[in-house]
Amino acid sequence: MVRQFRQLTIIGESINDSVPSTHQLLESGNLQALVELACKQAEEGADYIDVNVGARAPELMAELVRRIQEVLDRPLVIDSPDIQIAEAGLRAYDPARAGGQKPILNSISLGRIEMLRLLAIQPCKVVLLVSEHVVDGRTSLCTTAEDSYRAAQKLVELVRETGFSLSNDDLIIDPGLTPLATDTGGHLNRVLQTFVRVREDQDLAGVHFVVGLSNLTVMLPSKRADGSPVKGPLQNAFLTKAVPLGLDMIVASTSRRYSLLPAEHPAVRCLEQCIANPGLAAVLAVRDFYKSGGSL
Amino acid sequence: MSDYADLYQAILEGNAKKAKEVTERALAEGADPLELLDRYMIPAMDEVGRRFDCQEYFVPELLIAGRAMETALQLISPLLAEGGGARAGKVIIGTVKGDIHDIGKNLVISMLKGGGFEVIDLGVDVPAERFVEAVGNQENIIVAMSALLTTTMGYMREVIKALREAGIRDRVKVMVGGAPITQRFADEIGADGYSENASGAVGLARRLLGLASSA
Ligand code: B12
Repeated sequence: MVRQFRQLTIIGESINDSVPSTHQLLESGNLQALVELACKQAEEGADYIDVNVGARAPELMAELVRRIQEVLDRPLVIDSPDIQIAEAGLRAYDPARAGGQKPILNSISLGRIEMLRLLAIQPCKVVLLVSEHVVDGRTSLCTTAEDSYRAAQKLVELVRETGFSLSNDDLIIDPGLTPLATDTGGHLNRVLQTFVRVREDQDLAGVHFVVGLSNLTVMLPSKRADGSPVKGPLQNAFLTKAVPLGLDMIVASTSRRYSLLPAEHPAVRCLEQCIANPGLAAVLAVRDFYKSGGSL
Repeated sequence: MSDYADLYQAILEGNAKKAKEVTERALAEGADPLELLDRYMIPAMDEVGRRFDCQEYFVPELLIAGRAMETALQLISPLLAEGGGARAGKVIIGTVKGDIHDIGKNLVISMLKGGGFEVIDLGVDVPAERFVEAVGNQENIIVAMSALLTTTMGYMREVIKALREAGIRDRVKVMVGGAPITQRFADEIGADGYSENASGAVGLARRLLGLASSA
């Protein structure tokens, strides 16, 4: 993989139960192949390896973490919304095998604050997911950047209250990138403006930002009629907008090339239309992007 | 009745403006709203679903067609109501407690509406009591649940249990869906039906209520 952005940390996304080929490996308990998948991503430039085993025994998470660390010195992202699975992964992780680097816990949100106690297990970095908040006892999706910013403030406050001494450098804010294919609610703007809002806050100086980049392009065709790609250019167009605002980590495929695009690139134009016209018009702009078979 | 194939085409292409124009013209010319629905609108949405299933259409096209359908529906539904109530059945739907993924649920809703169903959307993070309340003393309706997380899919079982405890399980049909759900899981928890996608949800809902398929 060609690293166009030295400032962008890449978390390899492939060890995830929702990837069909990985699902098969998990189903058949083929840990060796999963370890190889970790190594392949490291070779392709992953700075971290994400580990998500789906809804399986916590012991499987622990075992996979140990097996990967036996052969690989890259730090890992312990990725599960299930507290027991996440706990097993964090307990198994040995920083000494990753040159002293801490693991990343992915993720804590206001809907899952019980996971805060996992920060006691060992020093770690943590992803704070700020796409959801709790209103009148019910968890719901944040609809504005202000909602997400408030969720970030609140989560940081809760992390600090635990007293487990995480610094801002250990905090990674994930605004929750949602698919362009269905973004009739202006979520692209919410995400971009969340970066802006958080960066304006001195108290949050030095926190990091992450997004799951593939989320942006789920449900879109991979190619246009003329065979030119759809997803890669749109992901790069997003980076073109988000990196200048502070985005510095992505959970992403290590087999793509990431680069900033020129302002006149059709994919950048498409995102600009989505930004300028949130609502169904944004979805129309995306459809026009993949329907117009144009040269890229 | 004259030919309003333009309406079919407008919905298929997701052209809301044209769908509105043709519907207005048709109604002004005295067209039967029920016939507009059955001959052009529902078949158009069925075709949208078919194209989606074979990857000629993608989710954006589905949303855009759904919007065109809704535009036309808004014009004719007051007239339909005068003529005698809901046509297809009624569906109460929500994403279960702990889960806020609603994209799939919303697609299911727009396809169901496209199929002529009345849909009550309870939103996301819906606790069992809210499903029970929403059913109230109605019968022969569908309770539909969506879940995208392996940590929340188990809650569907709780909802079915709550319906049973409230003594209303027999009055409703339960259908479930969402990426981690399988037919096997649906059977295990005692749901009446499962569909892996939004267009299948319409056929399933029709079958569960014993309505003839319009396809
Ligand atoms: C978009 C998205 C989000 C958005 C949601 C925005 C929204 N408004 O819904 C945000 C960013 C908020 C989000 C948050 C989280 N997410 Co998320 N998300 C996704 C993503 C990228 C796409 C889901 C989607 O919309 N698919 C498209 C729709 C159309 O498909 P669908 O929902 O399956 O629906 C179809 C069918 O299933 C069916 N259907 C659906 N419902 C029903 C109901 C009935 C009755 C019927 C008949 C049919 C039916 O019809 C639909 C249309 O054909 C997936 C990954 C992926 N690539 O799929 C992860 C994913 C679902 N998320 C995941 C996770 C873990 C989370 C988080 C916990 C945080 C995290 N670490 O990422 C939080 C949890 C939030 C919460 N409390 O629920 C995991 C789930 C893992 C698991 N198996 O448990 C996934 C798989 C990502 C991953 N690889 O880890 N997410």
